Amino acid sequence: MPRITIRRWLQIVLVVGVTVALLGAGDDARFNRLGHKLMCPCGCAEQLLECNHVGCAYSDGMRKELAAAVQTGASDDAILQQFAEKYGTTVLAAPTKHGFDIVAWIMPGVVLVSGAWLAVILIRKWKYRVAPAVQTSATAAQLDAFRARARQETEL
Amino acid sequence: MAELGSFSLLLALALAAYALVAGIIALTKKSEGSDRLGETARRAGIAVFGAVALAAVVLVTATFQNDFSISYILHHSNRDLPIPYKFAVLWSGQEGSLLFWALLLSAYGLILRLRHKVDTRLVAYASVVISAVQVFFLLLVNFAANPFAMTIGTLPPDGFGLNPLLQYPEMVIHPPMLYLGYVGFTVPFAFALAALIMKYPGEKWIHITRRWTMVTWGFLTIGIFLGQHWAYSVLGWGGYWGWDPVENASLMPWLTGTAFLHSVMMQEKRGMLKVWNVWLIFSTFMLSIFGTFLTRSGVVSSVHAFAESSIGPWFVTFLALIFATCLYWFLRNRDHLRSEHRLESLVSRESSFLFNNLILLVACFTVLWGTLFPVLSEWVQGTKVTVGPPFFNRVNIPVALLLLVLTAVGPLLAWRKTSIESLKRNFRIPVISGLAVGALIIAVGYIKPWTEQSALYSFITIVLAVMVAVTIASEFLRGARVIARHTGQNLFASIVHLTRRNTRRYGGYIVHFGVIVIMIGFAGSAFNRDIERELSNGQSMSIGPYTLTMRSNTQDDNPNYASEWAIIDVSKDGKPLTTMYPERRFYKAMQQPQSMVALHSTLKEDLYLVYSGINQDTGNPIIKAHVNPLVLWIWIGVHIMVIGTVIALIPNMAAQRVPVRAPLRATELIADKPGQPVGVGS
Amino acid sequence: MMLGLACLLLTAGVLVFVFAPVQRLESSPEKTRLVFLRERKETVYENLRDLNFEYKAGKFPEEDYQTMRASLEEEAAAVLSEIERLENLNSGILAKKGATGNPV
Repeated sequence: MPRITIRRWLQIVLVVGVTVALLGAGDDARFNRLGHKLMCPCGCAEQLLECNHVGCAYSDGMRKELAAAVQTGASDDAILQQFAEKYGTTVLAAPTKHGFDIVAWIMPGVVLVSGAWLAVILIRKWKYRVAPAVQTSATAAQLDAFRARARQETEL
Repeated sequence: MAELGSFSLLLALALAAYALVAGIIALTKKSEGSDRLGETARRAGIAVFGAVALAAVVLVTATFQNDFSISYILHHSNRDLPIPYKFAVLWSGQEGSLLFWALLLSAYGLILRLRHKVDTRLVAYASVVISAVQVFFLLLVNFAANPFAMTIGTLPPDGFGLNPLLQYPEMVIHPPMLYLGYVGFTVPFAFALAALIMKYPGEKWIHITRRWTMVTWGFLTIGIFLGQHWAYSVLGWGGYWGWDPVENASLMPWLTGTAFLHSVMMQEKRGMLKVWNVWLIFSTFMLSIFGTFLTRSGVVSSVHAFAESSIGPWFVTFLALIFATCLYWFLRNRDHLRSEHRLESLVSRESSFLFNNLILLVACFTVLWGTLFPVLSEWVQGTKVTVGPPFFNRVNIPVALLLLVLTAVGPLLAWRKTSIESLKRNFRIPVISGLAVGALIIAVGYIKPWTEQSALYSFITIVLAVMVAVTIASEFLRGARVIARHTGQNLFASIVHLTRRNTRRYGGYIVHFGVIVIMIGFAGSAFNRDIERELSNGQSMSIGPYTLTMRSNTQDDNPNYASEWAIIDVSKDGKPLTTMYPERRFYKAMQQPQSMVALHSTLKEDLYLVYSGINQDTGNPIIKAHVNPLVLWIWIGVHIMVIGTVIALIPNMAAQRVPVRAPLRATELIADKPGQPVGVGS
Repeated sequence: MMLGLACLLLTAGVLVFVFAPVQRLESSPEKTRLVFLRERKETVYENLRDLNFEYKAGKFPEEDYQTMRASLEEEAAAVLSEIERLENLNSGILAKKGATGNPV
């Protein structure tokens, strides 16, 4: 079945893609990536690298700080941790994967999977449902005549 | 002046309350005069529109007269505000936008009540529901957020001005469109609740509300994308969607509304999913109210939450009331919603609709979850967290891709049951085309999907988009061929004929096509680049194929704002291309700066220049340049979506249907007792 | 003063509009089972036409088409027979009323 082929193919691409992505990239790319994982705390509700707020009291300094941190070669997690300690947890643009925060990440998947499971169960159940269709007391011969009429009236 | 406005708002409240109470009595009491009472309720409902419209006219007139004794006008306007923006004052603050909500709602109510002949009883019930919603909003504008409240203390000589972010042409039409969308969902909601309360036999109410829902959905779509376009051209950060709570608030009813537009076909065609549809439209309406609440209450912080205030509890109470009402009538009359058919196979159009709905709802849940998680987190663990774009993108992109898969698959499945043979026959060409294009992209090296996750997603998006496009094209071509065989028309005429025969289906396909064009536009964002540099006169910088040379830096001044802008010559691959003028304005009344982006758009990419500021030491401007691939596709896709929606709204050409005449009076003699579900076999 | 007058006029106008006597009340007849069945027939016919069209467009193999059409036609036949039964019943009632001279 072609659908399975696509799915299999997607899986392969996904596995290969993610593996390669994890190999990492240069400092510029890291700066860019991390800069999009941080928020600007000035109240503009933008990601750090996207705050263009004129005269923003935070973003310029934080960008320099981030560039310096990337230079030191510290790990991504360590850098983010360092920012969170300094500016508060709201500086991280997304919930972390520790403690209660992990719930944020898990829930959508849980809802998707349980929703799909429920849908399949429902479809299975509905398969055996007795449909309260229109009841009729007509004889088989009469019904055949009606069937012929329906066919004739709906022919293109 | 203000007194007249206040008075007409009170009058409107009285009329809406009368329409509600008289409407309920007329429907519950079976007596001689109840029809007449019902008619007065209907007229009162019509008069609400007149009264609210008068209030709105008063507010706009007072804005033009610079009547700063009205506090709302003092805070949202000033003498030098250009004329179009004076209209926009009506919806740029809390009190005004609530009045605007009430105005649009009464306009929808007006149309509904004027067209009551389609089914007087059903409309009478729906009209009661609308009146109840009207009463809520009129209570708000009368007692919690009165737009005609007077200025306290001495009157300043000039107003504080309109938020400069809102002083942009699209901002004049973005909120009305969005509000038409939000408010419009009240109508299908009212019909659905009405049909449930009166146990309306059959599915004709869906037929009646179908156009309402599509129009509303169309407005919401336009509203959302105007907002994106505005964000892109005004906020100046190079993007169009920031997963801000208020953006999310508009996306949620859009998602459930989209789900409803699809699943409603199951009910019309097969008499299935009745319970689901009723709840879907209930949720869509509640999400619209919730969206208004999010925008206005300041529960979650947002750049859009222009005012924070005390109206939160009103909305929470109202939402609880709506939910309780819906739940009560659902529990009481749920027998009426029994399904008429069974679902025969997992591989069928029915189940593809089911999964389509599931995924749209998961998307909606994710958005809701992410929006409210900060509140939840603070409540559970005591620390506030940010749920920003990285979260939403990470979670929602795969969901969107799944949806794209279904868009390709759904239309090819048969109703009831699809055999393997049929699958092979229908899927071969779309799948082969998608894979071929994918292979071509890799071979040419346009995208390297293995380098980054975002590149991979973009690649998958494009491959799926090609599959959907081929599916749609084959639907049109195969249908047109049948028409051509019958009528002997040429292919183009046949396609037009085909579309006019079933506007909803083929209009819908055009909407799908718009969606994939937009998706391709979104996919382009994986390859955005930017650079920021201080440029003195004559100096250059380059990004991608573009070289930007600063020609000069200029300043200007008018009563509304002072501005400074750069004149930049752009060349591409060494050849002169254009001159661009990124600008920064300083609005005097509000004392706020605002950037005006300079944009050079092509199908391949946008060159997007922002005047970031001036280096105080050197006096040179700092220019930020973005190169954003494929953004134009988004705006083109939206136009295609709108065209598709309009086509779907045109009535079908087929005149083959003989109109069903009104039943003979005598039939009532043998009719089942009214109120019984006549649909179920007797 | 002017303002009070305006408010008064407004209220009076609204009251006249709302409570003015009605000449003709619009009301659609109670929905009967027959009307429901006719709606139903239209839906089934629509589904059949769609199916025929999609078959002609080459979307389904012959075998699938036959089964799908058979099940839809069965549904249509049941609806049609019910419609006919009710219509006969109605005309019977009408005829009876006519014979006894009762106004309908």
